[in-house]
Amino acid sequence: METKISFTLNGKKVSLSTDPLRRLLDVLREDFGCTGVKEGCSEGECGACSVMFNNKMVTPCLIPVGAANGQDIMTIEGVSKTELGQRIVQAFADGGAVQCGYCIPGMVIAAYNLLLENPNPSEEEIRLGISGNICRCTGYDLIVESIKLAAKRGR
Amino acid sequence: MEETKCYMPETLAQALEIKSRVDAIVLAGGSDLMVSHKRTIGLTPVFDRPVMIIRNLPELRKIRVNEKGECCIGAACTSAEIAASTLVPWHVRQAANRMGAIGLRNSATIGGNIANASPKGDTLGPLYLLDARVKLQSLKSEREVLVSDFIVKFKTLDIKPDELITEVIVPYSERDFDYVFWHKVGTRKANAISKITVSMALKFNKDDTVKDFRLSATATGSKTNRSRDVENIIIGKKIDTALIEKVIQAFDEVISPRAMPEFRRESTRRMIRRFLSECARHPNNRVIETYDGYHMPGAIDPVF
Repeated sequence: METKISFTLNGKKVSLSTDPLRRLLDVLREDFGCTGVKEGCSEGECGACSVMFNNKMVTPCLIPVGAANGQDIMTIEGVSKTELGQRIVQAFADGGAVQCGYCIPGMVIAAYNLLLENPNPSEEEIRLGISGNICRCTGYDLIVESIKLAAKRGR
Repeated sequence: MEETKCYMPETLAQALEIKSRVDAIVLAGGSDLMVSHKRTIGLTPVFDRPVMIIRNLPELRKIRVNEKGECCIGAACTSAEIAASTLVPWHVRQAANRMGAIGLRNSATIGGNIANASPKGDTLGPLYLLDARVKLQSLKSEREVLVSDFIVKFKTLDIKPDELITEVIVPYSERDFDYVFWHKVGTRKANAISKITVSMALKFNKDDTVKDFRLSATATGSKTNRSRDVENIIIGKKIDTALIEKVIQAFDEVISPRAMPEFRRESTRRMIRRFLSECARHPNNRVIETYDGYHMPGAIDPVF
């Protein structure tokens, strides 16, 4: 049942005609080329596909695109162009936070979500902030250190 | 394959009108339904009935206190919103704050947690404990029913095809109790499905006898467990060791855990023993047990 759906994607109004039950994840990747949105577990557990939905982190593998109608979506493509997003990306590069890289767009979104609400988080708060994002390479420590670095550079 | 019909109402009135003519599956956060109906990577989930998306209905996203002083939580309020609201009773906030992880808590809703009717539903223990009710609205009628009656049995609800859960009403606040307890046992801190969650609350009379005692446990049977008979064993009496053991024994007969039954039974016994013996000592701190060190800043007010 094709329906017209409109939302804001990375600051621009977009619309498409599609099945409202398609996953937001698939629409972002296939219809809008936002391939920084990675599919991992497909059930909201791994955080690889995380995006900002009305400025709050969500997992779009669980969201039908119909639920995004009229809402504000930011993917890693948009977040990494903001001042805070750029600062996090640079800190991840400088801090050696990245190994295979698959989880990293979701990790950057999680860090962005955290630092938006709490610009000076403690280590525990950082670990909480990325608790819904799974990384199989790094052991998390360098990611945590890089988020500390991003917070420090923002002061 | 034929696509499922999908409705996207923008107001509650539209949603009720759709419900009056179509028995649609109601989808809010999607954290249960999108998983149970998923196919594989890149494919759209398949539903056997039409779907109605209510995630963004403004009428269902409010938390307020009604004229009777009861906390009313809109059915599509997310766990994150509930955890962050000081209007919401303490036990419910604790449960909301430990569901899934951050991304999930920004999607998962309280209405969905109830409608999923799982014995492991995180908010159900607190909602049973506090005699919470759901408000069910249809185009023609409105009724309220206790959450513990609304969930008839595993995955089965007392709901008509034209009814929508619009609000969850929690009549008791932490101020009604002297001591509270909430503990979730999970295999990890985030994204853990509850192994057991025990919620308790107790109030004393001036003469040291127990005025009110509440005890509920999730994931200990096919339904969330609470028993007024067990609670009545201790109400009106002074707490002593023999009485505590009597309560433990009686509750052990109420619960019916299937997987890892002895682990679940022994953990439940120990939690009840710990709470009641702590209460008997009248400590200054009213929070006997909660999960500290794991919350967003400002989400939980540990002292009330």
